[in-house]
Amino acid sequence: MTGLAILLVAAAIAFGFSKLFHLPPIPLLMLSGVGLKALGDQIGVEVEADLVREMIEIGLAVLVFTAGVDLSPRRMLGRTRPIMIVATTQFVALGGAGVFTAHLLGYDLTTALYLGCALSASSTLVVVRHLQHRRQMFEPFGRLVLGVLLMQDVFIILLMVALLKSPDGVLASIHGVANAIALGFLAVAVHKWLMPMITKRLKLDDEELMLGALGMLFAFSGMAYLLELPFLVGAFLAGFSLSAFPMNGLVRGMLGSLSGFFLALFFISIGSVLSLPSSEMLWHSLILVAVLIVVTVVLVSVVAEAVGYSTRASIETGIMLSQTSEFSLMLALTGYGSGQITTELFSMIALITVSTMTLTPFISREKVAWALMKLHPRYRRGESKCAQMVDHAVLLGYGRAGARTIQSLIEHNIQVVVVDDDAAVIRKLIGQDIACVQADGSDTRTLELTHCRQARVVFCSMRRSRDAQIALDYLRGEKPTVLVRTFEPDEAAMVEAAGGHPIRSADAAAKIFIDWVELNLKKPLNHHHL
Amino acid sequence: MPTPDLHLLLNLGFIVITAAGFAFLGKLIKMPSIVGYILAGMVLGPGLNLVQLDHSLELISELGIALLLFLVGIELSLQKIKDLGGVAMVLGSLQVLFTALGGFTVAMLMGYAVIEAVFLGATVTFSSTVVVIKLLDQKGATNRLYGRIAISLFLAQDIVVIVGLTILSGLGGGESIELVQLAKNLAFAFGGMAVLLVVSLTAARYVLPKPFAWASRSPDTVFIWALCWCFLIVLLAHQFHLSVEIGAFLAGIALAQLPIHEDLHRRLHPLMTFFIAIFLVTLGIKMEFGELAVIWPAAVGLSFFVLLIKPLIIFIILARMKFSEYTAFQTAIAAGQVSEFAFILLALGAATGLIGGTIVALGGLVGILTIAASSYLIIYSESVYQLVKRSGVLKWLRAKQEPDPEVSEVLENHIIVVGMNALGRTIVQAMNERGEHVLAIDTDPKKLEGLKPADILIGNVEYQSVVEEIGLRDAKLVVSALQIEDTNHLLAYRCRSAGVMCAIHAFDVSVVNDLLDLDTSYLLMPAIDGMVEQRELMSTKGVI
Repeated sequence: MTGLAILLVAAAIAFGFSKLFHLPPIPLLMLSGVGLKALGDQIGVEVEADLVREMIEIGLAVLVFTAGVDLSPRRMLGRTRPIMIVATTQFVALGGAGVFTAHLLGYDLTTALYLGCALSASSTLVVVRHLQHRRQMFEPFGRLVLGVLLMQDVFIILLMVALLKSPDGVLASIHGVANAIALGFLAVAVHKWLMPMITKRLKLDDEELMLGALGMLFAFSGMAYLLELPFLVGAFLAGFSLSAFPMNGLVRGMLGSLSGFFLALFFISIGSVLSLPSSEMLWHSLILVAVLIVVTVVLVSVVAEAVGYSTRASIETGIMLSQTSEFSLMLALTGYGSGQITTELFSMIALITVSTMTLTPFISREKVAWALMKLHPRYRRGESKCAQMVDHAVLLGYGRAGARTIQSLIEHNIQVVVVDDDAAVIRKLIGQDIACVQADGSDTRTLELTHCRQARVVFCSMRRSRDAQIALDYLRGEKPTVLVRTFEPDEAAMVEAAGGHPIRSADAAAKIFIDWVELNLKKPLNHHHL
Repeated sequence: MPTPDLHLLLNLGFIVITAAGFAFLGKLIKMPSIVGYILAGMVLGPGLNLVQLDHSLELISELGIALLLFLVGIELSLQKIKDLGGVAMVLGSLQVLFTALGGFTVAMLMGYAVIEAVFLGATVTFSSTVVVIKLLDQKGATNRLYGRIAISLFLAQDIVVIVGLTILSGLGGGESIELVQLAKNLAFAFGGMAVLLVVSLTAARYVLPKPFAWASRSPDTVFIWALCWCFLIVLLAHQFHLSVEIGAFLAGIALAQLPIHEDLHRRLHPLMTFFIAIFLVTLGIKMEFGELAVIWPAAVGLSFFVLLIKPLIIFIILARMKFSEYTAFQTAIAAGQVSEFAFILLALGAATGLIGGTIVALGGLVGILTIAASSYLIIYSESVYQLVKRSGVLKWLRAKQEPDPEVSEVLENHIIVVGMNALGRTIVQAMNERGEHVLAIDTDPKKLEGLKPADILIGNVEYQSVVEEIGLRDAKLVVSALQIEDTNHLLAYRCRSAGVMCAIHAFDVSVVNDLLDLDTSYLLMPAIDGMVEQRELMSTKGVI
């Protein structure tokens, strides 16, 4: 119990710092584990090796299982082709770049292959949390990212099996991969037929759901064990088999605290077994981190835009995927267990994972994406129509309502110009013969270019309220009516204070909803709250 | 660096799969899950010898017990403790005295030696806190008056057990009792309890509120901090030779005074469910039936005492304390089994050479028989009460017929609004003005401020326990203003299953079809509805 309490104290400290400095908890948990080990060496407070080993075992199983539950293939519906293209290109190119770089740095082929594989997958855990936190799971790029993650996890599992069996020859590798695929088919069958039937026919309570889900985890892990596959392959496929809606939602509520508990202890335990890398390994890690980020961002941005995503979505996808995965840790641990890689290499892969996971929230900030968008070639063809415009309408940001707004303005014979910094949006508007400028709507030069002060109306649906503030300041006291889309009351107050007219979308939705309620719900007889 | 040997995972695999199998089988024949878990353990242990208990499984079992008592503590405000503290003291001391005497007499009549009868008397006296709380929790009765009386009785029993274990530890291998050492140990234990109580209450008042309020918007942080707090107090209890149960319970009481205690309870509950299932399976694994042929008559006799006479003693005491017949009956039924502490007590007795292996096996058999039987009795206690009442037996015991006052709030015909962003808050206020009974839910306590007269709840609707607590089945409308696709889908699915109308925030066109497939009654679409507002504004301002 003492060992467990020490691990929990370390986890509590990591979570405290995570909250204080707005950093993701995973790298802090691992650093906390490193600190725990250092403290143990200094003052002799040590967590038993057995406990650490068991936490790593259970933690890995839960981690991979949870990742599987989060990756519902339903999210890929209608997007299979772009997802396959982006996922395959990224995995192959990044893996290749990783192997090539590692080879250049002087590593043997097996080690280089492990490093390449470790680099090629992104973290489901980090990305899903990040998307949930930023409410972007539903956005097209969010769905693309989740689809790519699912494909990557499948690729890395198959590669891991092949790598592990490689000392026994090519046939053994092929046999292992075939076994993994067979188990995968079983998981698909459970996902597709058994789970919907269970959800429909049995009314399971919390306890039965939890035991059933964990039973599935151990049953698949057991089958993987019998097929001489790493048990984690079974854990992932068990998670996948439960990822069908509504089972995934029902299970997630039950497993949330269990996975939260074990994952915290897992990352602390991993941290506590790392050995400090040499300066040469630190240097190598830095090179590999740079390769990972540059290749992922550039490659994914280009490929995603080529398969039809907007520039911003493509860049954000690239940034979001630029970290190594928990599967990289799993791969390193399995490789270490089989004697194919050294402790130092395991520590190096862990270091790359910690660094890239820590970097993710910083590099995936909006301003990084905006900055990268400026590097994109500009389409200028839509600007030519702006020169003569007077008493027109300007849309600062195309947004979700852009198409409807343009249609309504054209119906009233009002000329329109759209400002958006997304190249894909501008390309589309040029195709529709609509005047447009690919630029930042909060830049006063853009406002001048579109003759905003001579316009009849300016619609502002830019993401950040401070961008709207700049446009409102520029137009204060001028001719046009400025309409700004808002959701929260403080945004509306800011717009009014700056002389604009807020379109209160939340209030509008609530008002229409209340009308529906009046029609469909009886008023309570006892107005006891009034 | 340690490499995986998968021993624990293998053991857990066997335990979880067998427990799940028995739980599903139990569902078909209406067998309480506890009985299923113990049976699963008996199959895995004495039956097939597939799982041997080791340090790791013992640790997981202890975790389960700690979490169970931690959760009980988390639900106990200081007011509730004040209300029931006196009852627990009186009921606890009288019940322990009379049951121990009764058990001792029965054992003597069965022909056991004095020291063996003392141990058997002690065995039948204590009830299983873990088993009963698990069953009450399953029935949703931990907050009922009889549930609270039963829990306080068992905690009073735990204190007596600690005294008993301290005395046994002081016996020093069966040699003469060192009275001074014994007194020192007892003083140390009681002193420790006082220290723990002071630490918990001081922390509850001065130390914990600020950090937990600061972290309240980060559920993961609060969750880990709460667990950390629990295990620190458990370790402190360990330093005073006190049980895990006492430490965890006091740690829970400290957190019960914080506003987020209910949400914490819900988050910790699934974790406890898993660990306690493992604990119950290990109970089955520990069972030994080598001397079954010799001991079964005595086991049946003692089980009869535990299932009938012990509850009768409790019923009479509670009836004399002016509790209603219903409360006294339900509390008494809850106490009809042997505690897992009895196994520890018997093992210590055997280790000190005071009793032989037969008595240990007998205690184990009484344990399994009474836990299995009382699981059924507790789960179906309402029907059992009606049956016994109709037989006329209870008339002889002359308990009060008027029901005891219970604090309970029935949620019915209310409107649930989930997610307190601008949309959610506006809807809550509009519904308040309409005179509806509104329940507003969010995971962030700050967002729930200023919504009166609506009721508020800090929680996540992904948890089944929250869904039950908010009375979703009896609501007339459920509204979600959340912009979280998965949660919205799950909520819509639950509303459809319960036949309740729901309005869900369709924040993007990509979620519309899925929500319509789930028979959502109304889609809240601010992006589209904003267009109506936009058109009106354009018209008013002379743009068109």
